[in-house]
Amino acid sequence: MDALLATLVSGLVLGSLYALMSSGLSLVWTTLGVFNFSHGALMMVGAFVAWTVSEILGLGPVTGILSGTLAAGLIGIIIERLLVRPFYSNRNMLLITAMTTLAAMVILERGAQMIWGARLKQLPRLIPGEVQILGTTISAHEALLIVLAPLILVALWRFTVMTNRGRSLRAVGQNQDSAALLGIDVPVAFALAFGISAALAGLTGALLGSIRFITPTMGSEPLTKAMIVVIFGGLGNLGATAGAAYLIGFIEAFLIFGLGLYWTPFVLFLLMILVLLFRPNGVFGGK
Amino acid sequence: MANKRQLFAIAALFAALAFVPLFVTDSYIRHLFIIAFVYAVIASNWNLSLGHCGVFNFGHLTFFGIGVYTAAIASKTFGINPWIAMLLGGGTAALSALLLAAPVARLKGIYVVLVTFAFSQLALQLVLSQSQITGGAEGMVRLPFLQLGSYSFLKDFKFGYYYVGLLLLALSCLFLAFLSNSSFGKSLKAVRDAEDYAAARGISVARQRILALTLSAIFTGIAGGFYAIYLRVASPEVFGFGTLSLALSMVLIGGVNTVFGPVLAALVLTFATEAMAGLQGFEDARFIVIAVAMILVLRLAPEGLVDLLGKLRLPVRPART
Repeated sequence: MDALLATLVSGLVLGSLYALMSSGLSLVWTTLGVFNFSHGALMMVGAFVAWTVSEILGLGPVTGILSGTLAAGLIGIIIERLLVRPFYSNRNMLLITAMTTLAAMVILERGAQMIWGARLKQLPRLIPGEVQILGTTISAHEALLIVLAPLILVALWRFTVMTNRGRSLRAVGQNQDSAALLGIDVPVAFALAFGISAALAGLTGALLGSIRFITPTMGSEPLTKAMIVVIFGGLGNLGATAGAAYLIGFIEAFLIFGLGLYWTPFVLFLLMILVLLFRPNGVFGGK
Repeated sequence: MANKRQLFAIAALFAALAFVPLFVTDSYIRHLFIIAFVYAVIASNWNLSLGHCGVFNFGHLTFFGIGVYTAAIASKTFGINPWIAMLLGGGTAALSALLLAAPVARLKGIYVVLVTFAFSQLALQLVLSQSQITGGAEGMVRLPFLQLGSYSFLKDFKFGYYYVGLLLLALSCLFLAFLSNSSFGKSLKAVRDAEDYAAARGISVARQRILALTLSAIFTGIAGGFYAIYLRVASPEVFGFGTLSLALSMVLIGGVNTVFGPVLAALVLTFATEAMAGLQGFEDARFIVIAVAMILVLRLAPEGLVDLLGKLRLPVRPART
């Protein structure tokens, strides 16, 4: 019973991480129709900047996390401007932007390697100490992640549903031309979506930097998992994506518990193939 | 496909390459040529699925990596003759491609990219986790080397390896040229350019995609096997983004819809990146340079890309009777 509860809690931590990662991917996808391969690298940038500000400049973890979030958001806007916007009118934008964002990922990862080097780094925990959840002890920082993820998701959802800015993002995603006719500045909406998504990635990275080691390639594993999440959930619906994120988190935790760490990614992939054979648009996917 | 002049130029290129070792005795330059041949096989075969058939395949390097590890495990762990181990790499790569193609053939757009990309990541995870078989992150070293009778290929400054690599590239090119000229190759382009029309004419879109992916894996896998046996090392780096972006840039820069564009780009880019690797502090920066070059090609030379993405209509030729 204890093991079961511990697995549930670890699934909750993983699910929160995946939800934060994949909701950003999903936001860019619904607004721009772009799959951002540099999302994992943006997460890594957030972690490195947070580490530099917090540890090297000594401004403390909170300032660090905020700067990491901001830096990733800014780089996201730059990526949108330089690598995505020139290809909007292209018929094959989907494939081209997949390639350019992949190139952006290479640039960011190799750049980080050159700036920060290969030595393993870690941020101090935002909240020290430990917390008991369902009879399982986890660090307070992981508990913070569990609490923060749904809050951020709800905030994001409220933003896209309740505010005019947020509604404009969805309008642009649904029909660019009509949105433009209604006076929505489409390029601004695109930049905003990319910036928010990248900032979310940076925040995730900065939070993860206290749990895992900060390395130039730390983003690629969460990105792969976020991909599995969006394949399960279908791209294009925040709720479905978040649901799938927690589902994958729990499945992964139980697989690790039952099969061990080694076979888990393999089984997840097989599961994904099965899903795709029967539900090509994802488990919760509609259209 | 290629007109006479083009064919002549290609024959001349291969003839020239066949004479290179007679003039170039430096073992390092020969090494670069061998690596370029391997990349040329990767890039030109990738072009079969990505360019000719329009499958957004981002997992092509997985087939290469599977070839690398098949040859390494077969020759080192099971003591199989390295010549045969190399060929086995082609077999397992094709099998894995078949496995991947089954779900991919039914998918569209971004989901093809996602699944093929995730496939490569998870192959990497598998190699890293099964360290008692694959050597994990350290990889496998001191693989058996090639021998022909009593002649060891380690002798004569890579003379033998050069010709094995060149032969591999030549066979792969012949295979690809034959495919792209055959009715099968034309049906691939039909699937890419006009999916509905192709289906209406009785071409099974899913089957052609599965075939294109599987066929593109054969020589890629053998090249992987050759790469492992030649370097005597199998390392998980082959699944990494460095190799992926390099090979992708060769396909893009080389110009697609041809068999030989990526081959030429592979020869040029291999020497260019190796030259940069020699510069101090450029070990990481050269990958940035390649990534920037790739972006610039996509932005400034969309003509090349148009080929890849199937906008270009081939000059209409009368159908063979």
